[in-house]
Amino acid sequence: MADSEVLHVGIDLGTSRSAISASNGERFVVDSFVGWPVDMVAKKVLKRNVMIGHEAVANRTMLDLHRPLERGLLKEGSDKDVEAVRELLRHLLRLVGVDGNEGKLSSANVRAVVGVPAAALRTNKQYLRNTMKGIVDSLMIVSEPFAVAYGLDALLHTLIIDIGAGTTDFCVMKGRYPTEEDQRTLTIAGDSIDGHLLKLISERYPQANVTLFMARDWKEKYSFVNTPPDKVVVTAPVNGVPTQFDITNEMRAACETLLPPTVETMLDLLSRVEPEFQERVRNNIILSGGGGLIRGLPEALQDALKQVGGGKVTYMHDPVFVGSDGGLALALDAPDSDWEKLSS
Amino acid sequence: MRAGHIDRVKRRALRQAVTENLETIRGLPPRGVRPNVRLGRLWLRRVSLIIVPLTLAGSTFLLSKPVVEPMFVVQRAIPRKTGTPAQMQMMQYEKVDPAALPLSVRRVVIDAGHGGTDPGTTLPTLSEKAVTLDIATRLRKLLVQSGFEVISTRETDQQIPLRERAHIANASASDIFISIHVNSIVDHTNEHGVETYYLGPTRDAKLTRLAAEENRESGYSLADMRKLLDGIYADARRDESQRLASTVQSQLYGGLRNADPGLQNWGVKRAPFLVLVATEMPAILAEVGCMSNEKEVAMMHKPEYRDRIARALFDGIRAYSIEKR
Repeated sequence: MADSEVLHVGIDLGTSRSAISASNGERFVVDSFVGWPVDMVAKKVLKRNVMIGHEAVANRTMLDLHRPLERGLLKEGSDKDVEAVRELLRHLLRLVGVDGNEGKLSSANVRAVVGVPAAALRTNKQYLRNTMKGIVDSLMIVSEPFAVAYGLDALLHTLIIDIGAGTTDFCVMKGRYPTEEDQRTLTIAGDSIDGHLLKLISERYPQANVTLFMARDWKEKYSFVNTPPDKVVVTAPVNGVPTQFDITNEMRAACETLLPPTVETMLDLLSRVEPEFQERVRNNIILSGGGGLIRGLPEALQDALKQVGGGKVTYMHDPVFVGSDGGLALALDAPDSDWEKLSS
Repeated sequence: MRAGHIDRVKRRALRQAVTENLETIRGLPPRGVRPNVRLGRLWLRRVSLIIVPLTLAGSTFLLSKPVVEPMFVVQRAIPRKTGTPAQMQMMQYEKVDPAALPLSVRRVVIDAGHGGTDPGTTLPTLSEKAVTLDIATRLRKLLVQSGFEVISTRETDQQIPLRERAHIANASASDIFISIHVNSIVDHTNEHGVETYYLGPTRDAKLTRLAAEENRESGYSLADMRKLLDGIYADARRDESQRLASTVQSQLYGGLRNADPGLQNWGVKRAPFLVLVATEMPAILAEVGCMSNEKEVAMMHKPEYRDRIARALFDGIRAYSIEKR
């Protein structure tokens, strides 16, 4: 296949959001939600057979809504979730110009690198590979933090902490493709913060009518650990009347649930690095993923590093595309001969 | 194509990533768990040098004794003394040669929570000790049928101190330990969910209270407890226990949510349950439901639902075992 006919893409298939970066310069991010109209009336109102992303969330009352990824992995055993993830992938590819129409790129032209959680099993990867058959020509599945490290040219003496919605992935880069002992995955991540936040708000303000979607939106706007930058005041209905609530303490408590396991895992992985390289790794910690946006988190991790001699945590200012950009870099660097072997 | 220009480290990592993908396509297990054929052959040659002379030397002795056919025996730490005919029938397991099955986890300890004078959560029509024993019995049957060896810490309604439970598990040199419990959250009776614990410290006051509740009647002195708890952070079993807990929790929630759409996934958590501290193998404690929730209590009365719980726990253990292969 000549290079001119090929589209290379990097995809970060996330529990909450999925991002795509393509070799034609296009980049998109969508919410990982797929919904089908619940009945003929909904179909007539929506005038669509399927809705994806933010649009699906906005019209969820009329949809059979699916979030097909759980902890960064495709939910197994549900045909509807498999179909949802296929719709999501087709949608991402359409956004970057793959639509199969005459004169346009088709799936036969696409070589994709997809990032999955560090702890994904081979069976999980095989399942994803089977699900993606016919959607792309060739597929490479890699550990998400590895894709991040590759894209940032940070493959040596670096610790990547990728905080997503479903999982928090850790990966020590030692100049090779990470092995099982170089990586950890925690299931305490963005989703678990949303759940905690909702629970804490409901306990303090039982009269407030709050949903998980609202808690998630507030977390994305106001999340912090340690000292609050400002009071967190939100509006939620009470018996239909919009009412303001101060949720500063609840926000802090929910976000700080992430700290102990993250610190513990970070220190544990650092202690397993060869002693002569530990200081270099401590000073090369990269925080990526949506969780990196929690205010005060890099500083809190740096504080924790003081007990082992100090270190530096760098926060990625463009965490949304860092994984898909890394995947794209991998896709572009892989030689044609490898892509032919990986063809589905 | 930029392949010719990338540096050596990137090229090596990329090559390894491609190899890993090709191995996945071929259905090979990860390198770390794949048997080393070359090493195996070398050892086979060396071992044969010892085995052949020993076999020849011992053949006269062996020929003089009746040959005993190797047989798989389901081990039980506590002899079963009582039981209804139906329960007795459940014990008539089909014998399976475990060597015929490629299981990395062979021996499983099932710990039915509470028992005897320690009933756990008690409702007018249901007690935690009875529910855990019933689920443990169903789980044991499923495991044995699939070729696992099973050790039960209790098979009847009797009180076994936590210390004794840990001792039973450790003495049996089992591969994994699973303790079955049922939650009760009196402050939130409208909520119900499943959660799985592995050993570790927690800052959550509610979890500390729950651990203190489950740690009652432990049989350990204060000095013993301090020694045990000191080891929590340093314990190398924790990583494996976390993996086991994640796999079981995933199957537990996945297996039950269809029957109970309102069920919540409370995830994998750490807590210092003593039964997890004192056991020497990967160990978890599964809270398989919530007896503070009326709807769930109604379901727990049904044998089909308890069977579904046992099946979900079994699926978790099997998935972990396959993952470890």
